[in-house]
Amino acid sequence: MIKAIKQKFIGIGRLFGSANPKTILSMFFMGGGQLLNKQWIKGLIYFVIQVGIIVYFVLRGAADVAGFFTLGTVAGNPAQGIEGDNSILMLTMGLLAIIVVIIYLFVWTINIRDVFDTQLRVKSGKKPLRFREELREFIDKKFYKTILFLPVLFVSIFGIIPIIFMILLAFTDFNAGTFPGLANWVGFATFGELFRAGGIAPTFFRILGWNIIWAIATTAINYFGGLGLALLYNKKCVKGKTFWRLFPMLAYAVPGFISLIAFRFMFSASGPINQLIMGDGGEIINFLGLDATWSARAIGIGVTAWLTIPTSMLLATGILSNMNKELYEAAKIDGATGFKQFTKITLPFVIFATTPVIIMQFVGNFNNFGIFFFLRQGVSESPGMYVATDTDLLVNWIFRLTVDNGLFNIGAAVSLLMFIVTSTIALFVYLRSPAYRKEDTFR
Amino acid sequence: MMNFDIKKSKGRKIRPKKIVDVVLTYTGLIIISLIFLFPVLWLVLSTFNATGIFSAYGFFPQEWTLNNFRILFADSEYLMMLYNYPRWLLNTLFVSFFSMLFGTGLVILTAYTMSRFKFRSRKRMMVMTLLLGMFPSFLAMSAVFFIMAEFGLVNNLWGLILIYSAGAPLGYLVQKGFFDTIPNSIDEAARIDGATSMGVFFRIILPLSKPILVFTALTAFAWPWSDFILPQILLPDRDMWTVAVGLNSLDDTQFARFTAGSVLIAVPIITLYFILSKYLVSGLSSGATKG
Repeated sequence: MIKAIKQKFIGIGRLFGSANPKTILSMFFMGGGQLLNKQWIKGLIYFVIQVGIIVYFVLRGAADVAGFFTLGTVAGNPAQGIEGDNSILMLTMGLLAIIVVIIYLFVWTINIRDVFDTQLRVKSGKKPLRFREELREFIDKKFYKTILFLPVLFVSIFGIIPIIFMILLAFTDFNAGTFPGLANWVGFATFGELFRAGGIAPTFFRILGWNIIWAIATTAINYFGGLGLALLYNKKCVKGKTFWRLFPMLAYAVPGFISLIAFRFMFSASGPINQLIMGDGGEIINFLGLDATWSARAIGIGVTAWLTIPTSMLLATGILSNMNKELYEAAKIDGATGFKQFTKITLPFVIFATTPVIIMQFVGNFNNFGIFFFLRQGVSESPGMYVATDTDLLVNWIFRLTVDNGLFNIGAAVSLLMFIVTSTIALFVYLRSPAYRKEDTFR
Repeated sequence: MMNFDIKKSKGRKIRPKKIVDVVLTYTGLIIISLIFLFPVLWLVLSTFNATGIFSAYGFFPQEWTLNNFRILFADSEYLMMLYNYPRWLLNTLFVSFFSMLFGTGLVILTAYTMSRFKFRSRKRMMVMTLLLGMFPSFLAMSAVFFIMAEFGLVNNLWGLILIYSAGAPLGYLVQKGFFDTIPNSIDEAARIDGATSMGVFFRIILPLSKPILVFTALTAFAWPWSDFILPQILLPDRDMWTVAVGLNSLDDTQFARFTAGSVLIAVPIITLYFILSKYLVSGLSSGATKG
């Protein structure tokens, strides 16, 4: 690491030491050196980028960056008809402007590297590359750059910037109470509020505990349920495998939110299940009502199993069909029982093959927003909880904090903590998984 | 343990233990099938129920009707304004179709590069995408909302398409797994014949990738088709809603509308899944084994 940085500095030193006037021109005036090298199109592209950036900064970029630090100077006051600064909009646009600066610096270094490369080429007696030759590189050796340009751009705008925004929000005091006034940078005060004794902290830890139980339980049930189903359908004595597989496929194919709303209707106080109970002379059970902690949780786990076991089943079926049949033959000759074959051959192979999928499912379950959002719509707050019900996962709680109650900074702080928990677990497992470390084994 | 054999006419021996096994297996199969079938069947049967309010439901409707489907498309002017199902359906189709088109292209290309090019920041990007996928998406929605508002893309179906397509490359792992199984020697042979990377991709890899293309297109289509959080936030206008948002807005009194509406949008996607189930299994497993 240190060596790499050192190398980089030596490289930069060499560059400055031996740069010719054209290269130096490009440092101050992007594309200048390229134009002098008669690389017209390329020079023009760099030039246009530079002019565009300058125009952007004069028109709004500079103000945006300033706004990022102040978060607004004019407080709004509807009574006096003053339309104040919108702190959050300023935060977003300031962030965008800073990213533009970073991208600009990046392009700037590419521009220097490029003109320096040309300088070295000319020095060794070759001609500068022509534009067409360079374009050809971009559909051949540098094809990956061409391809990845759009995805990286999109993911940055709609994936990375919003996440940075969220993280930043945790360090402001922005919530529904501040509006229409201004938000301020407050450092770690929000986290302090979160963990202050008797405040929000008990709710946080209660939900976190349930969230972890939930994620482990659902992941295990879905995984082994899917594997079990696949093994069941794979049994030699099962005739008409395609027919039997149709049923879980059906559950897989129905859009998730439809199934969830249907289940809510099914378990509701006046739904068909309660009608059955009443028909037998029983009393209505409010499965998903406010007091129904464990029945609602159990229904949630069951419904998740119903929704996701089919996916795991399809997956396991595919993997099992890739398995080496000879292993089983050998095991049979050695007298291994069916159960032994399962624990010693099937399970290790399947787990080996699916570690990334297990991680993804675990994270997906940990953050499963839809289940209780749909199942318990209308149930608002359990006693002793801070704007949360006892089935809420952290995501649901964050939704209530932010969207329903406007406590954006607290929601952001909670999501930051949650992200740290999930990403640590997932990274730890992923970086050790054979799928990541030995991805080329089977090529 | 007693161990007597029953002779069958063909002369094959069947042990009682095996018979018990078969009986248990089939009992299990039937129970599992019923568990998966029952809720779906209930929903479908409810659509034909004339009573319309679900509290009066038994399992089978007492009186059969097609009226529930009719009210989706033709109702009183006021109700059509509130629940403009045909409009929602068109919006959903539009968004799903174009998201599928762009999303599939982006994912396939991303997966291909991640599988074939060993560039410097590759591993770093792989870890980054894993981390990004872990961030619950709607938390960052307010930022997305401001960005979209700044570009004038709120209440605009193209804005939604943009976000779905932009998010698609993050799910490249399955497709990468597929490309990893195509041997490198094919690429190298083509290169010796003078093909560029782009040529290799379009002329050689792409024709081999039909299963994964179908799989990707199908999942890319199904995502917007059944997503609700994003459209709920980005499409405040009732006329711009997608079916998922619209159906979620229905309360208990509109149960008939909900069932009919959901069955209508579930049927095409279920049909597609069944027709293409072969590709689904191969797609899912190729991603899983190679991750």
